[in-house]
Amino acid sequence: MVDVERLREIAREVISRDDVRQLIGYRQGTYGFRARPAFITSPEEVDQLIFSPACVNNLATYLTLEEKLPVPRGQEPDLRKVAVMVKGCDSRALVQQMEEKAYERERIVVLGIPCTGVVDMDKVEKRFPDVLSRGEITLEGDKFVLSFDGQREEVPKEELLADKCKRCRYPTPLVYDQLLDEAVERFADDDYSDVLELEKRSAEEKWAYWEEKFSRCIRCYSCRNVCPMCYCEDCVLDRLNPQWMRRSVDISENTAYHIARAYHLAGRCIQCGECQRVCPVEIPLMELNRKFYKDVEELYDYEPGTDAEAPPLLATFKVDDREDFIL
Amino acid sequence: MAEKNNDFEPNIVAFLCNWCSYAGADLAGTSRIQYPPNVRVIRVMCSGRVNPLFVMNALQQGADGVLISGCHPGDCHYMQGNYYARRRFALMRNFLEYLGVEPERVRMSWVSASEGAKWKEVIEEVVSGVKSVGPMNKFQRRQLNW
Repeated sequence: MVDVERLREIAREVISRDDVRQLIGYRQGTYGFRARPAFITSPEEVDQLIFSPACVNNLATYLTLEEKLPVPRGQEPDLRKVAVMVKGCDSRALVQQMEEKAYERERIVVLGIPCTGVVDMDKVEKRFPDVLSRGEITLEGDKFVLSFDGQREEVPKEELLADKCKRCRYPTPLVYDQLLDEAVERFADDDYSDVLELEKRSAEEKWAYWEEKFSRCIRCYSCRNVCPMCYCEDCVLDRLNPQWMRRSVDISENTAYHIARAYHLAGRCIQCGECQRVCPVEIPLMELNRKFYKDVEELYDYEPGTDAEAPPLLATFKVDDREDFIL
Repeated sequence: MAEKNNDFEPNIVAFLCNWCSYAGADLAGTSRIQYPPNVRVIRVMCSGRVNPLFVMNALQQGADGVLISGCHPGDCHYMQGNYYARRRFALMRNFLEYLGVEPERVRMSWVSASEGAKWKEVIEEVVSGVKSVGPMNKFQRRQLNW
């Protein structure tokens, strides 16, 4: 576990630098066990910062989400760096963004957090409903310890761990300027059992499964907005000419939306699971992303977000790519 | 599988590259080769021009099958367009299959300008494939009857 005092000390050092404009980290949420993003601009605010298994957000999103206002005439743009705290999965988002030349490596300061897994807030809330006072979650050995209202509960790690952490291949950040703790060993691997299970079904069963899921979609676009890889200024969903998918909420347009969203993440999704976490109607979006993840690994031996120097998957090709499906 | 209907004539949208497959289809026509008339051809400059969303959109708007056809690898007029198309299409096809769209509906072929006879075979194969899985009844746009 990351020592909070050390984290704050390093953060204070970083935000005090002249060339750092902002530090993005985690702070305690307003109620319950939740943590929320903290945007730190001065050394006085550093004491808010925390890190615990409740820090589920992928902060890499905010690097590209920040609105870049036009600079008034006569003023210089603020080119100071942004510091960001990343877990293993979040660091892959940074790598993938840099692979796509979203920004230069010099523009960011990365504080890497070797991560031993975060909780799934839905599982926590199911288990401890109606916790309105501020609670805390810590990891002690192989148990999550939840303390709230003077109570202390111990839960085996497996029961609350987020699904993405159960198949995490890179718990230690792949890119960092400073590591806040000792690197952690990989403690899980991905066997794609969920995707394989679904692939085995017949076409009718698959469609019945997805029709039910897609028909629930209310097209809030949370999954797009939270995604660290969805940072196009001109999104295909907002286009009116051509209008690829209409705004009406019906099974046809919903399916089109989910095809387009998932396809735009083909070879780019880094499995941080944020889309599924924020989905208000619980569509298993990661099962869509993971299908591409699996195919890309099998067909092209490519893993997104692991090598910032590699060319993006669909912007390159090999002469001997598989083509047994071609007539 | 959807119920088989012998009277079912599928609508197939074919995206043909200008330099090879379109010329190949043209050759089949000028050579008076008979092939099933279920194909609606859309000419694009290169198979690399075909956005995977085209496939989705065609299926949404009532196509029962989609065919993308381009030059053989190495023969692309733009040197490498068909290689990119191949990667994109492989992923799209697998993904649509994962959602429950039968793989018979989305096909890709290489047809060169001199392969009028191969064009006929490709079309026969695609049409019989789509016929075997029946009409597309998954995520088309609802058509209003005026």
